[in-house]
Amino acid sequence: MEIKDFVCTGCALLCDDIGIKTEGNTIEKTYNTCRKGAARIRGDEERMTCTIKGREENIDKAITEAARILSEANKPMIYGLGNSSLEAQKKAIELASKLSAYLDDTSSFCQGPVVEAILEGKVPTCTLDEVRHLADMILFWGSDPASSHPRHLSRFSYFPRGEKRQRGWEENRTAIVIDVRKSDTSEICNKNFYRIPPGSDGELIDALTAALNGKIPKVSFGMSSKEILELANLLKKAEFGTIFAGLGLVYSLPEIEPMIKLIEALNKSSNFHLMPMVGQYNMRGFNHLLFEKTGYINRVKFDGNKVDHGPHCSVMEVLNSGETDAMLIIGSDPLGCFPKSIAEKLKNIPTIVIDPARTFTSMIADVSIPSAYTGTEAAGNAVRMDGEKVEITPFIDSKKLSDEEILKRILEAI
Amino acid sequence: MGFGQFISKPELDILIVTHRDIFQNSAYEHSRFSAEYADQSAIIILTASDMKKIGIKDNDRVLLKNKWGKVIVRAVESKEEEEHAGIAYMLNSPWSNVLVSPETNGTGVPSFKRIKATISSTEEKDVEVLPVSKWENQD
Repeated sequence: MEIKDFVCTGCALLCDDIGIKTEGNTIEKTYNTCRKGAARIRGDEERMTCTIKGREENIDKAITEAARILSEANKPMIYGLGNSSLEAQKKAIELASKLSAYLDDTSSFCQGPVVEAILEGKVPTCTLDEVRHLADMILFWGSDPASSHPRHLSRFSYFPRGEKRQRGWEENRTAIVIDVRKSDTSEICNKNFYRIPPGSDGELIDALTAALNGKIPKVSFGMSSKEILELANLLKKAEFGTIFAGLGLVYSLPEIEPMIKLIEALNKSSNFHLMPMVGQYNMRGFNHLLFEKTGYINRVKFDGNKVDHGPHCSVMEVLNSGETDAMLIIGSDPLGCFPKSIAEKLKNIPTIVIDPARTFTSMIADVSIPSAYTGTEAAGNAVRMDGEKVEITPFIDSKKLSDEEILKRILEAI
Repeated sequence: MGFGQFISKPELDILIVTHRDIFQNSAYEHSRFSAEYADQSAIIILTASDMKKIGIKDNDRVLLKNKWGKVIVRAVESKEEEEHAGIAYMLNSPWSNVLVSPETNGTGVPSFKRIKATISSTEEKDVEVLPVSKWENQD
């Protein structure tokens, strides 16, 4: 069977032009995918097994045990959901509310500040389609799409011949990279690569803002005032510019405000936008849903009708301080991606993992529940890195439950 | 047992900058338990002068340690033309996360991308990084 226009869930670009050739339920070939997307579509060779305390069990018993653990906990926490559909995320928010639980996602320690500034209307943003058709200036700051979002440059930001950018990268677009290392993207945009020392992003942002406000810019590292003025002048000439904020930038800034001020200074003469380089395919969807319900994008604790919010509700602080006594993890792998000394605290509390693939965290989980891959095996909706909603239609007939269905059944069992 | 074990290895303070890589990421998607993912993750990229300072060659094993843990990885010489003395690169993975501080100064954001550690050559056994099952041998 040939499938056209499948949506890839390999990253938050949600590329919707993927071709797939199948033989029964087996994927024979993928077309238009990047290496990362092809791997995601083919799925992990080690699927999750359904277990309670390491012993294989049927899914009914596992769901009952998960519900028991969560009901008996005093301060349960639900975490993950960046790789879940909007429908599953809604169920998780409902579950957290019902349990008076902590609820957090990956944005808590990655792109949260950028998404929050956008949803609160503090900074202008745009869509990827606007970038493709209108952008003449693209700034990758602490981001390396050639590695993290491989089709970003070809589909949207640099190479396409958009409506107003028919001469593409050769004449119509300027791409700038600011990074602490020579990334693959900086090789592509070699002419405009600015290398800065680790942690000095804020200093360069302030210097650029000063230059745009008519002051003489200075930094403590090897960039002269002349170079900074030239960069500021290059940026402010743009008709339509977008800064793609990567984790290199976000981790380097204690607050996002200096970046907002830089964009305000640029927009006295130009038209600049900020966009987060979101990794997981539907992290932003979770942020949108929680924002609609609570006014916060992440890091909440439900308590009846009240909602507490702040760093003390973040997954890192809650887990590290021993504040939670049971954790439900959906589509995430803290034993692989948290600081080891924090992740290991999961060994001390009952942990439930829902995931299509066997994860490092499932090795220590009290209950592991296999789910279908949203995308190839289960339907749903998701929000792209630019805030656009995308519908996902599966093509594999899987007997596995979606994470939405699993969460619904846990909710019913509580 | 050689005499060399009594001579302390030169140590160097470094700042590890972590980043992502499409090949390592697709190896993760294929199987995070695979040797391919481990091989691509347990690497540190060093500039030539730093390798000289600690007396190692390309592909030698090195010990990275700080207050939070220690890990043994393979050292690879940086392909960058410009020297980046004192700054080393690792891919974000369980191997780099061994060294990430749990202290966030109340922000909830660990310093994943800038990790201070010391590096030295080593003949020590590999340090177990990936978790083992909590439930094995439970009977």
